[in-house]
Amino acid sequence: MVGSAGAVQRSNASRYRHALWLLTTRDLKVRYSTSALGYLWSILDPLVMSGIYWFVFTQVFSRDVGTEPYIVFLLCGLLPWMWFTGAASDSTRAFLAEAKLIRSTKIPRTIWVFRLIASKGFEFVASIPVLAAFALVTGATLTPWVLLWPLAFVIQAILLMGVGLIVAPLVVFFRDLERAVKLVLRFLFYASPIVYASADLPEGFHFWAAFNPLSGIFGLYRAAFFPEQLDSFYVGVSAAMSLVLLGIGLVIFRRSIRAVLKEI
Amino acid sequence: MSATASTIAGSPVISVRDAGIRFRRNRRGRRNFKDLFAGSSRRSRPGEFWPLRNVTFDVRPGEAIGVVGRNGQGKSTLLKLVAEVILPDEGTVRVGAGVAPLIEITGGFVNDLTVRDNVYLTAGLHGMTRADIDARFDEIIEFAEIADFVDTPYKHLSSGMKVRIAFSVISRLEEPVMLVDEVLAVGDRAFREKCYRRIEELLAGGRTLFFVSHNEKDLRRFCTRGLYLDKGALVLDGPIADVLAAYNADYPPKQK
Repeated sequence: MVGSAGAVQRSNASRYRHALWLLTTRDLKVRYSTSALGYLWSILDPLVMSGIYWFVFTQVFSRDVGTEPYIVFLLCGLLPWMWFTGAASDSTRAFLAEAKLIRSTKIPRTIWVFRLIASKGFEFVASIPVLAAFALVTGATLTPWVLLWPLAFVIQAILLMGVGLIVAPLVVFFRDLERAVKLVLRFLFYASPIVYASADLPEGFHFWAAFNPLSGIFGLYRAAFFPEQLDSFYVGVSAAMSLVLLGIGLVIFRRSIRAVLKEI
Repeated sequence: MSATASTIAGSPVISVRDAGIRFRRNRRGRRNFKDLFAGSSRRSRPGEFWPLRNVTFDVRPGEAIGVVGRNGQGKSTLLKLVAEVILPDEGTVRVGAGVAPLIEITGGFVNDLTVRDNVYLTAGLHGMTRADIDARFDEIIEFAEIADFVDTPYKHLSSGMKVRIAFSVISRLEEPVMLVDEVLAVGDRAFREKCYRRIEELLAGGRTLFFVSHNEKDLRRFCTRGLYLDKGALVLDGPIADVLAAYNADYPPKQK
């Protein structure tokens, strides 16, 4: 009569995936059921931003950064940046926003961070058609390097997991971090090759730019249209940095989760 | 077919060994990085206290346990440890079976989603498969008596309805262990009686119950064994009548 052995016997991995999926789709459902424009919002922001940058850098200033067609060049960096900045800033509230649910539900706690990365990742994927549309209109040529997108996607996901696992628990104890993260993200926007290419940096910065993991990742995305943007040194460093950050994140998360659960 | 109960019959379903948990007395107290990551042995700070310490007990499948004690003596903390939503700083808490926690039951519900979406979300998070939920959906809604509101956003329900649907979902989880923290203080009397009958039904079906309450009548009704917590320690572990007698001797009930 206790029955339903199925629910008990399901493996941990499938329960993990199931919970992750439920929370991710919950976020998307809430977003799309409460706003009339729904999906449009997730592409409107990068569209408006790239419109502004396109205007500033091609109409106001005479641009000598980036590559033609500049709008495609911009979007290749801006769309993944939206994923990065959205997930990183959301992870500051990973525990605080869900305190009630976390206090009453026992699921692996990394899910509270990873679900944010997943839902922002979905929005990123959903915004790719915008890039495709602009590429068609401007006549940008797609190269076989587009096959590297899954690699870029994986490295970025690893990077975000590391950042999220570090930021989420620490914010619970140091609320100031929430604002600090926002500030760092604003800085990082200009410190990353989004409006410009890594190659446009002054000579002295080339080596150090590799240590911004986003340089390698955005280079990979851009290689789909601009193969010269691919720099294997950058990609290697950014993959290594992402893995190191993930390692640090896992240690911090494991050691602080006990205190986090008491605090929220 | 009490699959879950029979496979582990005999061996304890909940096993708590020397469990202790430490909190800071003032929540706004200073925190530093060292404190966060240092091993527990290196941290002994004056502003800390132990709401529970050196607690050891086993629970066998099918037992119904009532936790007794005054406010602030660690009852809810113990319940949360067993639900594994907080982790002990000392000792171990091992729970060998799935748990249906009736703690902060409305916590997982999302205001902007419909009742239907919320049922699938909450039941899913507690480990039910989609097919399981499909099969029980009507039963859940019927128990909560809100058939007309299935596609209403959760936020438009009255507070009584919210508790009803939440209880209904969690109590259908089919998990072998049930944790009940005084959630049932809310809701009208008829529904509370319905909840109690549901709990009795589940007990008859071989579930293990872990029940925190101040209400002596409820404790006697459901529980066979009692745990008496006082000043963060487990003072007495025995038949519920003995435990209540000891509790009443220490803290005589006020004359009504």
